[in-house]
Amino acid sequence: MKKRYVPWLFLLPVLVVLLAMFGYPLLKSIVMSFQNYKLTAPDDIFFNGVENFKKLFANQETSMILRNSLAYVVISVIGQLLLGMILALALKKPFRGRGVYQSIVFLPWAFSGFVVGLIFRWSFNGEYGVVNDLLLKLGLIEEKIAWLGTPGLSLAVIIIAMIWIGIPFFAIMILAALQSIPADVYEAAEVDGCGVMRQFFQITLPYIKPTLVTTTLLRTIWIFNSFDLIVVVSGGGPANTSQTLTSYMYSAAFGSYDLGFAAAIGVMLMIVLGVYALLFLKITRYDKAGDF
Amino acid sequence: MSRKTKKRISTAIRVVIMAFFLLLVVLPVYWMVITSFKTSAEVLDLQNISYFPRKFTLENYAGLFSQYDYSVLLKNSLMVSVTSALVVTFFSMFGGYSLARFQFKGKQTVVLFFLITQMIPAILVIIPVYVAFSRMGLVNSYLGLFVYYVACNLPFCAITMRSFFERIPVTLEEAAKIDGCSRMQALFKVVFPIMFPGIVSVFVFGFIGAWNELIAGTIFISTPDMWTIPVGLKTLIGKYNVEWGMLTAGGVMALLPTAVMFAVMQKFIVEGLTSGAVKE
Repeated sequence: MKKRYVPWLFLLPVLVVLLAMFGYPLLKSIVMSFQNYKLTAPDDIFFNGVENFKKLFANQETSMILRNSLAYVVISVIGQLLLGMILALALKKPFRGRGVYQSIVFLPWAFSGFVVGLIFRWSFNGEYGVVNDLLLKLGLIEEKIAWLGTPGLSLAVIIIAMIWIGIPFFAIMILAALQSIPADVYEAAEVDGCGVMRQFFQITLPYIKPTLVTTTLLRTIWIFNSFDLIVVVSGGGPANTSQTLTSYMYSAAFGSYDLGFAAAIGVMLMIVLGVYALLFLKITRYDKAGDF
Repeated sequence: MSRKTKKRISTAIRVVIMAFFLLLVVLPVYWMVITSFKTSAEVLDLQNISYFPRKFTLENYAGLFSQYDYSVLLKNSLMVSVTSALVVTFFSMFGGYSLARFQFKGKQTVVLFFLITQMIPAILVIIPVYVAFSRMGLVNSYLGLFVYYVACNLPFCAITMRSFFERIPVTLEEAAKIDGCSRMQALFKVVFPIMFPGIVSVFVFGFIGAWNELIAGTIFISTPDMWTIPVGLKTLIGKYNVEWGMLTAGGVMALLPTAVMFAVMQKFIVEGLTSGAVKE
């Protein structure tokens, strides 16, 4: 056997699975987006030109859903980044019991969106929820708020849950970056009389910048894509006001069984994500690096 | 301000911050856990929300097993998660080895391809796959779900495995080969045993990925006796009536295996996460 086939032989199983499970669906989606493809009428599938796209752009809810997606992604990412960074900075210096403490505060990383969604749906329940009860007892509100029944608030609860579940990932990444900063840099700064704030902005931030950029960009796309929290917490409601692009696509496909329309949303997603991926590769220079 | 007071203040701030994050994680989980031990009358007591069960009960846990066949859900979840995680681990051991040890044309493209697959939203894949699966008779089968979970978790695990390989000096393998081992023998007798923690943490990634998954499970499986835990529990959320006691009990049990795995493997999981997802 020729030597240059060896690495490919090792990679073969992975590549076969991935090409079948990612390559085929993407092509099929593009075809389906130009078809009248309804699960309710499986024998009546035909090409209908750009009907699905027309429907998408004529849909009054489309712009609201785009705005929701933007708010959901941007606020969640910023929240996770800031809180994750604060946690990482607090964890930087070793202390007794750090291992145990980390096992607890990093735990949400291992939680499923389903269970987290459940916890938040239950806590923010309008009648029996603990959040309303606490706010009432603290005198911050006069009467119970229907968190999940109010447009805007239900999306806010989803965002809070999303931030909660994502803090550990940011903290883990930033902590690793912090620990790779050589200690003598800080010592030198200390000798030169550099204050804590200045040390943070002039040493810490520049050092961890590459990690921050890559983690934020990756996380952005993951949050954009994930919608299990939405399905569990609000189901996209009330009246679609907490739908994002991906959850809306899910509802179109398996709520109204219009696969053609869902595929049209999917094609739009592909375009958005394709542009994003190109930017990602450019910014992180994944495309240039010989090795990553 | 003297140096000592400065230090005291910064320690105080740190303690406050750390207490904040501890409560942030613990309180929501606490709320779920105590709800699962309340009687349904207490859960739905509008006037007086209790912060500790007035009457401690296991009826929600018992109810899950007697009314909702939780043992079947558990069995299904375990089966799909363990088998898919095993295959993911096995495939990524070889894929990761190839990417770590060989220099070859197209390697960068492969890595890029892995990265791109991480950016594709699941729902974009699920819809066409659902159509294909229903033609092949794979809807409502463990095989379909298994194949899907393998594909979803492979790219990340392969990249993580690669970075675990890169930490092991090549000289170890070369020494084994000089001693008369073939490449495969060197891998199985020398490299894999050293990498054991890394291999286990990749298994954990694969397991958690499948164990926690809700959407594909909901779509691919419609027969109740084939549901996984999240899919089965989701049916407890009715339109008008939600079985909070049992739902939270189910949530607690769904969290236990992943929480234990994470606590035990934390060090290696953290290493895997930091090297697998991004690499500066």
